[in-house]
Amino acid sequence: MAKLVLSKDGVAVHQCWLDKDRLTVGRGTGNDVVIDDPAASREHAAITCVGNDHIVEDLQSSNGTFVNGTRIIRHILQHGDVVEFGALHLRYVNPRASADVDLERTMLIPGLQRGGDDLSPAPDSQDADDGVPSARAARVHFPRGRVKVLAGARAGSTIELDRVVAAFGKGGHRLAVVTRRPHGYFITHVEGRRYPRVNHQSIGAEPHPLRNGDVIDIADESLEFLLD
Amino acid sequence: MAHDFIEVAASTDVGNVRQFNEDSIAFDPERGVVVLADGMGGHRAGEVAGRMATEIILSALQTEVAEFRSTANPHSPLRAVTKSINRANTAVFTAARTHPNYQGMGTTLALALFYDNRVTLAHVGDSRIYRLRDSRLQLLTRDDSLLRDQIELGLIAAADAAESHNRSLVTRALGIEASVSTHVRDDDALPGDVFLLCSDGLNDLVDDADIELILNSLRSNLPLAAGHLVQSAKDNGGYDNVSVILAKVRKAFPAASHAAWLKRLLGWLR
Repeated sequence: MAKLVLSKDGVAVHQCWLDKDRLTVGRGTGNDVVIDDPAASREHAAITCVGNDHIVEDLQSSNGTFVNGTRIIRHILQHGDVVEFGALHLRYVNPRASADVDLERTMLIPGLQRGGDDLSPAPDSQDADDGVPSARAARVHFPRGRVKVLAGARAGSTIELDRVVAAFGKGGHRLAVVTRRPHGYFITHVEGRRYPRVNHQSIGAEPHPLRNGDVIDIADESLEFLLD
Repeated sequence: MAHDFIEVAASTDVGNVRQFNEDSIAFDPERGVVVLADGMGGHRAGEVAGRMATEIILSALQTEVAEFRSTANPHSPLRAVTKSINRANTAVFTAARTHPNYQGMGTTLALALFYDNRVTLAHVGDSRIYRLRDSRLQLLTRDDSLLRDQIELGLIAAADAAESHNRSLVTRALGIEASVSTHVRDDDALPGDVFLLCSDGLNDLVDDADIELILNSLRSNLPLAAGHLVQSAKDNGGYDNVSVILAKVRKAFPAASHAAWLKRLLGWLR
């Protein structure tokens, strides 16, 4: 279970388990965590539990709530986060809420609002929905590469290969893609009767790794691949 | 109806970390059916729940499609979808109650049924359905997930969702209770549309802009597009099983009775 460790000048003075849906932090004695510091407001911050998350929220305190040195209004706590109230520090300890992408298995829990609804198309569900964005980018490093157009309509220009794929072709046909992967760039044939050529050799149907200085021919364009 | 009106390409992968693949996919392009499930449950029960759901729904819809194609009742597809999901729900729920090893198992679901220039879409849980139309990717489903609820209620900002540990918490699943309520919608399906069904192992790791770019770049080679989506999820960490089904509408596919009627009309005018 998650806990909070209160420390003053680096010395732990109190700890408390996060076993309630909501607890408050402040100077007033009615709080779950009492901060004995004149810089703290009577009701300074609240910590709410939602699913696997603990969310700390500033309760419009006079001096603000800081997490790891940054002022926050609301923040989803990560294992090891330090919430600062003047000289007192509150450290959030929950190895399960580490900054790594979580490996929890899928589980079913009750929703926050909707019950058993919409068996038929609901009017509001017809609209597009931006949805929940993808998770934080994993700590994956991608190489940085680009192609210089040596010959063809775009001769002289440079195309950065800074996305997952870049398509090359002619007249609306994607003839080949260059794919960016953690261990390098690859060129793959997409459609058309002729395969792209790398250093004057046809690459065939399989993805072909690219090396710095490779010259690629796709349709009537000639490209030089450059890797940082 | 033309037999090759829908082109399907699919890929499913255990990912880089997990031991088992609890995702399951099934499809029948000729009958216009694609189904995807992401199972959950202890031991290997998630695999069982996912596979039961896709197999039961596919076979139920194969039978139903043959039936409603001959009657041309516009309400039939919707009813067929609901019926097939209910049948799968009962089967998973019963198995979970009967076998100690399967206790508590369930599964998410995403399915599409193409008929008469239209598509009926259904989902439960956090498996998603997107559509690429005119080069633009649009999410057509709303996740049954705690994170989605939190964002909708303004408890957290969408931009902060990446910091949350609630990604794995779904609020609805098939097979958990005696009945399941499903999100079902009916929409048009235009030539050139690409529908993407995926498990959260894709959209948790690949953002929508990259999914859109991959589909736009590779839509002329659907198997390559499916492979690249899965590869991208794995390159970004591959923390979960990842599955995709792509269904591209190759041409208009009016119901047979309409086509026959049109042919008669044209013959008459000639």
